[in-house]
Amino acid sequence: MSTKQLVYIKGTKDGLVLRLDDQCAYSELIDELKRKVSEEGMEGQAEVQIQLGNRYCDEEQLKEILHIVQQSEHLKVSKIKSDVISVEESNRRVVESRSATYVGIVRSGQTIRAEGDLVVVGDVNPNAKVEAGGSIFVLGRLKGIAHAGSKGNREAVIAASWLEATHLLIADLMELMTNELAVLSETPEMECAYIHSNGHITIDRLQDLRLFRPNLSTFKGGS
Amino acid sequence: MGEAIVITSGKGGVGKTTTTANLGTALALQGKKVCLVDTDIGLRNLDVILGLENRIIYDLVDAIEGRCKIHQALVKDKRFDELLFLLPAAQTTDKTAVTPQQMKQLIGELKRDYDFVLIDCPAGIEQGYKNAVAGADKAIVVTTPEISAVRDADRIIGLLEQEEIEPPKLIINRIRPHLMNRGDTLDVNEITTHLSIDLVGIIPDDENVISSSNKGEPIVMEPTTQAALAYRNIVRRILGESVPLMTLEGESKGVFAKLKSLFSK
Repeated sequence: MSTKQLVYIKGTKDGLVLRLDDQCAYSELIDELKRKVSEEGMEGQAEVQIQLGNRYCDEEQLKEILHIVQQSEHLKVSKIKSDVISVEESNRRVVESRSATYVGIVRSGQTIRAEGDLVVVGDVNPNAKVEAGGSIFVLGRLKGIAHAGSKGNREAVIAASWLEATHLLIADLMELMTNELAVLSETPEMECAYIHSNGHITIDRLQDLRLFRPNLSTFKGGS
Repeated sequence: MGEAIVITSGKGGVGKTTTTANLGTALALQGKKVCLVDTDIGLRNLDVILGLENRIIYDLVDAIEGRCKIHQALVKDKRFDELLFLLPAAQTTDKTAVTPQQMKQLIGELKRDYDFVLIDCPAGIEQGYKNAVAGADKAIVVTTPEISAVRDADRIIGLLEQEEIEPPKLIINRIRPHLMNRGDTLDVNEITTHLSIDLVGIIPDDENVISSSNKGEPIVMEPTTQAALAYRNIVRRILGESVPLMTLEGESKGVFAKLKSLFSK
């Protein structure tokens, strides 16, 4: 048995931090963690953040660690942090952050899909569908169906030069444009749809997008 | 080597067959050698509109399955000296009797002998449509100023854009000028911006088209009618002339009427 400590418990102003050694074998770490969690004489309940350092853990392992720590009634895990991700995960994030551009008209019966953001230069005609994991931006008339944040991203928005869509979908919400929503906007010019803090899809002026979705802007620099 | 043009629309009843018959006849009047191919197997009509129904001996399926030579299946229109021919569709079978590959070969052979091969496409986007489009070099999409027809045209243009053919051209058929001016139907501009393809002609709604179709004489043979003029203009454009769009009845107004409409807005 090595003399090196494999599990450190540290107190910070945000609560407890459980730092797990990232060089030892996984089984050793688990043994040590089990011992540590059961032996400490703690009182009350504390939020704890688990730091894995440079250790990569798969879903099963993460579940196991979480299970061990939660066994102690004094500890509540707020989050698990790791400094490494798999190549697969990294690739997925790259694809999702990339924006795809489609130039042309999306016609009735056609579907255009993108993993990340989608920019359409041209019209989206009635009965055509545009779908994106991120946000959708249409330089033209959006007259068909648009689904932004199709994998559950509720921060995604749908913006268009002319927002005249028949159906707007963001994450798991859908809005038919036949109701009062469409009536509220007198001219469909330069508008965008987003999920309002009240939980409903709302349409607003494109100029106000920076106010309610400041994180959309990724631009750095300039003068 | 001639060129093959498919005339299609998606929606039924917008005037594909009438347009095919009239464009073909007008091309023959211009001295071109034309073959019309009816691909609406099971629901053939082109022969009736041309007045050639009772002269059919063999049909398209006979020719493809080798029961006759292609030239034996062609019906000659005697009104045009060796210029206008029809390859009629079979009536006793259905669209699955033919494959796109067979159609491509057939149209390829016809193109060797004719300046123009006009293919009349059935309604829909299934097998019949695929057969009709297989051998075509160009496409003409027919629509009317109704929203449903324009929607279907949009769909068909999307499908045509995936084929290896030139960008399709648009004909807006059955325009009623007074309804259009009143804003009760889509206007020509709205339709062309929505579909954003080149417009090759507009055809007014004309009762004479119905009576001439029933007589088996395409309307272009009566040059006094507006519809005949419209079809002849389209053919001149197909042949490369630049002809301005015709002004439709009721569209031109006097100064007084213009002033009145200005104030009534």
